Amino acid sequence: MMLELLPQQLANGLALGSTYALVALGLTLIFGVLLIPNFAHGEFYMLGAFITYALVASGLNFWLAMTTAVVLVVLIGWIVDRVVFQPVAAAPGHGSGLSLMISALAGSIILQQLATIIWGTEARTIPAPMTGMVRTSLFTITYLQITIIATLAVAWTAVWLVLHRSRLGLAIRATSQNRDAALLMGIRTTRVRLATFALGAALGAVAGALLGATFPIYPSMGVNPVLKAFVVLVIGGIGSLPGAIVGGLVLGMVEVMVAGYGSSQFQDIGTFLILVAVLLIRPQGLFGRAQVER
Amino acid sequence: MVNLRPSLATCLILGMGILPMMGVGTKAADEIVIGEIHPITGPATFYGLPESRGVQLAAEHINKAGGIKVGGKEYQIRIATEDDQASPTVGVAALRKLVSADVRFIVGPLASGVAPALKPIVERNDKLTQLIDGTIAENMTNGKNIFRNQATVSGYNVAVAELFKAKKYPSVAMMTDRFHAGFMNSQKELAGNLKEMGVSIASEDYYKLGDTDFSAALTNLRGRNAEVLLIRGYPAEGALITKQARQLGFTGQVVWEMVSPPSTVLKNITAAEMEGVFNCIPPTTEDYVKLGDEKAMALDKAYRAKYNEGPGELTALSYDAVYIFKAAFEKAGSLDNAAVNKAMAALKVSDIPELVTRYTPQPDGRLFAADGQVDLRGEVSVWRGEAWEPARLTD
Repeated sequence: MMLELLPQQLANGLALGSTYALVALGLTLIFGVLLIPNFAHGEFYMLGAFITYALVASGLNFWLAMTTAVVLVVLIGWIVDRVVFQPVAAAPGHGSGLSLMISALAGSIILQQLATIIWGTEARTIPAPMTGMVRTSLFTITYLQITIIATLAVAWTAVWLVLHRSRLGLAIRATSQNRDAALLMGIRTTRVRLATFALGAALGAVAGALLGATFPIYPSMGVNPVLKAFVVLVIGGIGSLPGAIVGGLVLGMVEVMVAGYGSSQFQDIGTFLILVAVLLIRPQGLFGRAQVER
Repeated sequence: MVNLRPSLATCLILGMGILPMMGVGTKAADEIVIGEIHPITGPATFYGLPESRGVQLAAEHINKAGGIKVGGKEYQIRIATEDDQASPTVGVAALRKLVSADVRFIVGPLASGVAPALKPIVERNDKLTQLIDGTIAENMTNGKNIFRNQATVSGYNVAVAELFKAKKYPSVAMMTDRFHAGFMNSQKELAGNLKEMGVSIASEDYYKLGDTDFSAALTNLRGRNAEVLLIRGYPAEGALITKQARQLGFTGQVVWEMVSPPSTVLKNITAAEMEGVFNCIPPTTEDYVKLGDEKAMALDKAYRAKYNEGPGELTALSYDAVYIFKAAFEKAGSLDNAAVNKAMAALKVSDIPELVTRYTPQPDGRLFAADGQVDLRGEVSVWRGEAWEPARLTD
């Protein structure tokens, strides 16, 4: 009987994993290029959800609301970078990883508190832009879940095209490989920084808007997804876009299988077991490159 | 030469400063301070704020009607509000703050996590009397200085059992918030009771506040052929589980066991998706209003006039709590905690005609049992249209 449910559990895992991957995609981009452990990414996700919610509640079409939210969150992302990260990065020695992490946590708390002041703490859900589902003899999946999976594919393709088929992408990749060398080669790293933050924040906002139509939204909603996204990054390899996708899907599948065939109480234990296993067997992650320090 | 005669202005200024200190002029009325600890902010605001307002409203009504007469003296009530944010740590700090301000009568708390943290502090302090109007966790009262006018989770379970008996459901899958002390502690007993009634327990799954994906557990329901999905916890997760269960093809009956204001429910699920869901909790303020209860309607009207919105599900309990204290003060004829505790334990339901909630009197007519707990039983309501309404189980 339990095997009969396997296709449905796989579909559940794919849907859940896609949500993790969508959040992780923006995080890995900022971490990979700018070396910022951006805990405030969870708040880009949260703000994407809340701004979409507010606009939909005021009568705007969901997709227009989402687009507006993306633009606003990109602006917020730039402000966060300017206020929170740039002063630290400009410090002697470009700021340590620890300083950046603490700055990110501070930024995250401030954004959460602002959202609490504006929207309160009560959970709410964005009215879904579409209802209905695909029912087959093997599994059921909602149109919204299909949209999330499709958005993940489109987002990954778009980011890949920007990174690999544009001069801006070339500059971003060069900066990610060696910031000092990129500066010496005349690359305008400020432009790279703005573009990276814009892409990362936009991906976070898209994830928030779409997942806010599926899950309840509240000011601290970004905390858990961003922690899961860091797990995804470790599994997939920090800075790797395919790693974020595969890591997210692996994590989603593992959680669903543990809950489905074991117990839902062990769902989180499954997450951290796979994290430990990856760290032991392949510390650089599935798609990461091993780095040698000389 | 220095003029030593004070000027008229100096005299006036000195007089204005000294006279109040001498107690001359209008004397403020004597006050009884009642502390209230509820989550005014934080994740449980939607429960806590209407409770806090219920306390304020009762105090206003009592003061307007002449206050409280204790031992031939008249007192006005003053409410000291503390916000526990539904957090045990903040709750303990709130209680300590009230104690240090010499507040000796407490209403609250709401959260099942906060009440156990406060209990040992209140029990050890013979200068405190607590009346719990929120949490449903078992064993929170002692009948000495801790009382409760809210139901226990066992009271909720009475309604679950009645529903299963009336509808003759053959099987149930239970999903319970594993951090809700009240529900978790009664899980085994409820499952046992249902089994005794011949109900097969298809599964017992657990989740936690803030979880968003329940698909794996809900998919398994399909394989277990459960007739009923019983959800025990808070409304945001309740709504999400209901929605995901329907999406995954669950066609059985969904039953909630949670206080769930329609305004909160509808922020997370559409009214259409909620249609026909049962809820097993004691009647709420709104239920009494729908039943045409005059006292509930008066409370509803006064609340709307003051706050421009309807009362919360638990407002009536908090409103009642202040009147219970009033009756205890008057019966005791003293503000000494020991006397108030004794009077509280001896109060009869008929001593407090202002009570909105319909408590079942103890066999001797008292409001509280020996352990300080009221008898308040769950009833079944059903979601129709945009809100809950009392269910007729014979349909």
